Amino acid sequence: MARNLNLSQCIAESLKLEMERDDSVVVLGEDVGKQGGVFGSTRGLQKSFGATRVLDTPISETAITGMGVGLAMEGYRPILEIMFVDFMGVCLDQIYNAIAKNHYMSGGKVRMPIVIKTAGGCIGSGAQHSQCLWGTFAHLPGLKVVAPSNPFDAKGLMAAAIVSDDPVVFIEHKKLLLTRAEDFPFGSDVPQERYEIPIGKASVVLEGSDLTIATLSGTVLSSYAAAKRLEKEGISAELIDLRSVVPLDVETVSASVAKTGKLLVVDEDYLSFGLSAELVTRVLESGIEMKKFGRHAVPDVPIPGAVTLEEAVVPGEESIFVAAQRLVRSE
Amino acid sequence: MATLRQRYSYMVWMREFELACLEGVATREIHGELHTAIGQEAIGAGMAGFLRADDAMCSTHRNHLHAIAKGVDMRKMLAEIFERESGLCGGFGGHMHLMDSSLKFSATGIVGAGMPVAAGHAYASRLRGSDSVAVAVVGDGAVNTGAFHEAMNIAGVLKLPLVVVVENNEWAISVPFSAASATETIAERAQMWAAQGMRVDGNDVEAVASAFGEAVARARRGEGPTIIEAMCYRFRGHFEGDADTYRTEQEKEDRRSVDPLAITRKKVLDSQLATQAELEAEESSIAREVKKMLGEVRLDPKPSSEMALQHVFVGGE
Repeated sequence: MARNLNLSQCIAESLKLEMERDDSVVVLGEDVGKQGGVFGSTRGLQKSFGATRVLDTPISETAITGMGVGLAMEGYRPILEIMFVDFMGVCLDQIYNAIAKNHYMSGGKVRMPIVIKTAGGCIGSGAQHSQCLWGTFAHLPGLKVVAPSNPFDAKGLMAAAIVSDDPVVFIEHKKLLLTRAEDFPFGSDVPQERYEIPIGKASVVLEGSDLTIATLSGTVLSSYAAAKRLEKEGISAELIDLRSVVPLDVETVSASVAKTGKLLVVDEDYLSFGLSAELVTRVLESGIEMKKFGRHAVPDVPIPGAVTLEEAVVPGEESIFVAAQRLVRSE
Repeated sequence: MATLRQRYSYMVWMREFELACLEGVATREIHGELHTAIGQEAIGAGMAGFLRADDAMCSTHRNHLHAIAKGVDMRKMLAEIFERESGLCGGFGGHMHLMDSSLKFSATGIVGAGMPVAAGHAYASRLRGSDSVAVAVVGDGAVNTGAFHEAMNIAGVLKLPLVVVVENNEWAISVPFSAASATETIAERAQMWAAQGMRVDGNDVEAVASAFGEAVARARRGEGPTIIEAMCYRFRGHFEGDADTYRTEQEKEDRRSVDPLAITRKKVLDSQLATQAELEAEESSIAREVKKMLGEVRLDPKPSSEMALQHVFVGGE
């Protein structure tokens, strides 16, 4: 029975449980304290742990991320909230030159157990508030990149991200954050107690035999709806939620493709040089026989403002349905 | 706290260390750009002796003297700079990224980027409820970055125990400070962040020590951040190999004649803290020590190629 909460509350609950068991976990970010985050995913934390451990910072992304580096060097486990993933451009230097590299540059001596939690995905907010960008972070060595698709995963993956000794970019989908747990067709039951979901293990959301749809974050939900429609057309889709881009669970996808022979990668991020090409290539490299593959991602354009335009470029239930059908039926 | 006599010894060590590094450039044992701080020893030595192991220091691409002042093992530093497995970072860092977590020392090759990291160390002190402090050393080029402003502002609003030492050597590579700064001094900017600001003669090791000691004590008392602008001159190019045509030969010659080592040496002699003979003996002893250290480093193995894929993640992928 689903509890009466939305996904952002599941994340807040996960943060609270980690902060209770480990004093070194601290939260820094814009509006994370009194407001509890603009999406509510840090709500109640400042009340429970005080304004020093849950710090409302100035609008200074470089200071937030840079302070995270210093705090990590001091043995803390900072959770840095960058309100929208689009704002990471402001502080990318600290992310890719310090957070991602300090462990390596120190010869393995310095650890960066940092979670950069942020919101991505399309909800009609235009080019500067709608990106996913997980492909960008995945391209930079040294960062784990996680993007959950449902409340159960969000809570367990966040716990794993916080205890990870490696830096994790944790991208929450804006549309999912505000969706109630009971409205998810999968992952809606969220236990009250703490649990972890290991980072790097994909989950098979639906089993099927005609094609494999691999995706993550918000498009798992729309792919799920598309798969239900495909079923009525006599097409059996296996739906895989990758859960993370780094590490990328090629093994689970390859095992599925070995069965279905066809792979459709659905990605709400940009098409070129991204997740879809990487996953297809790795499956090919694995030596599994793959008869067909398709990539369905945002063609290389910024996300437009008007929803009619947004829908034209962002994978949704209808476009995923069409892409899957085409892949299976075309010879 | 170190005495003037001890600070002079530090300065000799620092100069000899940088000269040893120069040797590695000439012999092509050191690859990439090397930034030395020859001429800026009074600032490094002026900071020595004030910091504890639990105080942090975040430095720059021109970091060797700061690391020495923090107490980082010079043998391991030299080995890192000479690209050896025995180096401070096993050869994974290189001279711009010296890091010693046991002493909370780190350096970055990105101008200004050490500032918010130092603010993070200072915030850790707040979280722990301790009186440890964080020091950021930057050059005059860094003061015009957004990172500098963001870090100073947050340090000011939270009254963090942060001491910022700006080595104003008047040149950000080829651009003179006067052409890059809207204000005549950096010290005067401090007030906009509710910080203390002071400008000192960076060739005067005692002036630097006095300002630095005061700023560290102020930070320990919980009275907030300080910016110390230490005026100095970079004797060599921005990096080894810099044609350095943006400064006239006459300027360089004139400015190099004001050598902080010579100034401090004279002070030591004038104050009768040592005799000429004692200083000469010490100087040659330090030179020998550094030469010996370099000889040892040269025998250390280089990191082997199969190590290159290690350390991306703690837990592996």
